[in-house]
Amino acid sequence: MLKREMPKERFAYDPQKVLRKLEELGREILEEVRQGKNPYLDIPTRGLNNVYFDEVKRVIRMGNKLSRRYFLNVAHARKFMQTLLIAAYVKRLVSEGKHASLREAYYANKHTIPGTKENTFEDQSESDPVIEDLERMLGVLREEMHLTADRRGYVYGDITIRDGEDEFNTSKLGMGGWAVPGTVEHIQFVDINVDYALVVETAAMADRLIEEKFPKKERALIIATQGQASRGVRRLIHRLHYEEGLPIIVFTDGDPYGWYIYSTIKQGSINLAYLSEKLATPEAKFVGMTMDDIKKYGLENVTEKLKGIPPNKKGGPTGDYKRIIEEMNYPWFQTKEWQRQLKLALQWGVRIEQQALANKSLEFVAKKYLPEKIANEELLP
Amino acid sequence: MAKAKELFKEFKIQSVSEFFRRNAAMLGYTGKIRSLTTVVHEAVTNSLDACEEAGILPYVRVEIEELGKEHYKIIVEDNGPGIPEKFITHVFGKMLAGTKAHRNIQSRGQQGIGISGAVMFAQITSGKATRVITSTGGDEIIEAWVKIDVEKNEGKIVKKIKHPNPTGWRGTRIELEVKNVKYVRSKQGVFWYLKLTAIANPHAHIELIEPDGKLIVFPRSSEEVPKPPVEMKPHPRGVMTDDVYRMAKRTRKNTVKRFLISEFSRISDRKIDELIKYIAAIRLINSEEDKRIKDELFERLAKGEVDLILRSYGRRAKKVIREVQKLMDKPPEKLTWHEAEEIVEAFKYIKFLAPPTHGLRPIGEENIVKGLTGILKPEFVTAVTRPPKVYRGGIPFQVEIGLAYGGELESSFNLLRYANRVPLLFDAGACVTTTAARSIDWKRYKVEDLDRAPLTLLINVISVHVPYTSTGKQSIANEDEIYEEIRLAIMEAARRLQTYLSGKHRKLYQVKRKKTLQKYVPEIARALSILTGEPEEKVKEYFISLIERKFETVEETLEQPAEVEADAEA
Repeated sequence: MLKREMPKERFAYDPQKVLRKLEELGREILEEVRQGKNPYLDIPTRGLNNVYFDEVKRVIRMGNKLSRRYFLNVAHARKFMQTLLIAAYVKRLVSEGKHASLREAYYANKHTIPGTKENTFEDQSESDPVIEDLERMLGVLREEMHLTADRRGYVYGDITIRDGEDEFNTSKLGMGGWAVPGTVEHIQFVDINVDYALVVETAAMADRLIEEKFPKKERALIIATQGQASRGVRRLIHRLHYEEGLPIIVFTDGDPYGWYIYSTIKQGSINLAYLSEKLATPEAKFVGMTMDDIKKYGLENVTEKLKGIPPNKKGGPTGDYKRIIEEMNYPWFQTKEWQRQLKLALQWGVRIEQQALANKSLEFVAKKYLPEKIANEELLP
Repeated sequence: MAKAKELFKEFKIQSVSEFFRRNAAMLGYTGKIRSLTTVVHEAVTNSLDACEEAGILPYVRVEIEELGKEHYKIIVEDNGPGIPEKFITHVFGKMLAGTKAHRNIQSRGQQGIGISGAVMFAQITSGKATRVITSTGGDEIIEAWVKIDVEKNEGKIVKKIKHPNPTGWRGTRIELEVKNVKYVRSKQGVFWYLKLTAIANPHAHIELIEPDGKLIVFPRSSEEVPKPPVEMKPHPRGVMTDDVYRMAKRTRKNTVKRFLISEFSRISDRKIDELIKYIAAIRLINSEEDKRIKDELFERLAKGEVDLILRSYGRRAKKVIREVQKLMDKPPEKLTWHEAEEIVEAFKYIKFLAPPTHGLRPIGEENIVKGLTGILKPEFVTAVTRPPKVYRGGIPFQVEIGLAYGGELESSFNLLRYANRVPLLFDAGACVTTTAARSIDWKRYKVEDLDRAPLTLLINVISVHVPYTSTGKQSIANEDEIYEEIRLAIMEAARRLQTYLSGKHRKLYQVKRKKTLQKYVPEIARALSILTGEPEEKVKEYFISLIERKFETVEETLEQPAEVEADAEA
């Protein structure tokens, strides 16, 4: 049986740390200028060529390529200015204990530069990358800088959370559970009465499980990602695993999109490679849907055809097929089990949704499928 | 040949007015605008030449008064040496008597008719005599009315008054009344002519009062009077039959041989021996009837096989050589047209040293720069004077280029053409200067659109014998050597322009860079002040002085183009 493990990390939210880093950044630049040197910012390069898979820690990580942004370089000066502007804004936010959305941060810092027709930021597409740059430069999360993204996902289960002045049990908030905010850094876990967390791709499935009283019966915490897991949800999963020792089990559709959701939760993503150590949970396991489930549970009639052209057909592979082949090449899918699932998917040309299990009966997933698989540890790595 | 001889005689005896009418085009008196320009040109040229010879810094004032429809009074006054009383008729009256008419000298005029032509033109169109007021700076000022006696081909003073000269004024003022002319401020008119003249003569102060009373001043920009050109003996390759014939008539030497040696450059005793052989060979070859054989022999002659050819004729050759030797010993005045022709023909086959070039008087790079700067006020100017070269095997010439760019120049390409410093205002399209200037790939020199570039190009072709396309003497013929020299000179000047433009672009770029950086300073200062607690003003100061220092060093490296490139790479 799955049980809580010993915590590996501790609650580490410390607004002072961000402030110290920001001040340090400012001091360094000021010192350079004072000495008549050309001040610069060292920003880890973004993009695929500065990303690698750490085989030991089993997460996608950022390389050590830096791009140096000089003030005295006309091509860099604007970005240099923008980065400092956001840094100063973050300092105000954090010290005042306020949070701002990315868009608010954009509007708050957008103004016309005196004596010119130029705006500090012309578009949110200019401020968002600057915020990401700051994250990578300082090694702090956007959330730690009190900048929030769109929220998505919710939690249901017998755990007690303290969010600022509020304290509540997420199984006592109704069927809708507790919506995960954009920032979970400051959230504290007061009491955990579950054995593991089940991350569910679709809200419909999560609702089904809640209705079937699955969380209570199985002592599980349901985390609905509602599609690709948001940063908040991923951070929450990470914290629950490392700070509270909860085993993480992921339950998605049996298709390349679902498997990619799993991959992101487990190894991190290329875009946010610099945050993998804070967002990824390499110990997460995968319960389904798998191709083997189709055979085992007799779901052949409720599969869907894969979209796109198969690799052996002219013009292929495209669509789902192409995506599956890409996933087959990911270093973290280089296991016998996963290669088998992906090959079968290619071979059969089908996908299977979580909700296809309703074909058996509405309770099937909560009463039989999940409890059996989890109890027998029929999980993919 | 007899016909040519007669023609030449006729040319000498025809009445002056007849000559003038027949040769109006050649003399520059065609069209209402051009005729006026020519009158001014003759008077101004006279003034400039006189000042130059006397070593005086010229002050020339031109005034055009409109008396009626197409009826003007032209007044040209200078501070030149003045004209002694007895020379007045000579200077203003005698046609074809100009001192330079038959001298091998690089002259402004070259027409051989000069100011007397202008007097003649005034006389024909308005019937009025030309008023001359002149003094050599002595006790008296002479006021004279000059006409041309068309029967005698002589100047005639119609009326003369002597005035005292208490202030010691020196100079000449002439007033011509002309009809059938028109003052227009076009590129063919007096204004443009004087402007171009002022550019090519930066040592001259030139003023123009237009018919409407407007005063235009082209100020002096050089205090140096150019040295007058010296006479050069003609080079054998540069003469025509009638030159030799005419010179032979006038020489004081006793024999043709002595005449050739003393009056031509690059002819020595040994060259005369060679000449004799060549003339003999030409006579023998011309006696051949078969055209094919003739051509073949001439071809061999061109290869220098003169001795072989003569030997092939054996004793006949010896006889002919003796005849030619006799020709060399006879008095030059007895030289016939045909013999002169033979000599010129033989000259073409003989190798001569290149002609001396000391007679050429370029404006000079320094003066071109001064002239262009003073009159056009460009932001960039450069000049190239090429070393003298030779065209058609024996005629020395030299090319000068001035290039002005930007500043007060309009955004259009202007070509200022000169031959021996004299502006050429007509027939630009046919001129070798135009074709050469257009043949340059200006884009290579950072001039993207030549016709819309603020660029003025001055081209001066100097030679004792400028090859004009027509008798109008307003455009220079397309001689390969001249064309190439012009191109080389333009390309050199254009390369300098390119260097300048690159530097200019770079400077502009630097200013832009500086501004770009400066505009971010207030923003950065506020942000850093928030981050560090340092006062905003102080942070601003740090950044501003950082930028200042950065661009100081950049400006220093600009002085050394090679390093600029290196800096740009970094």
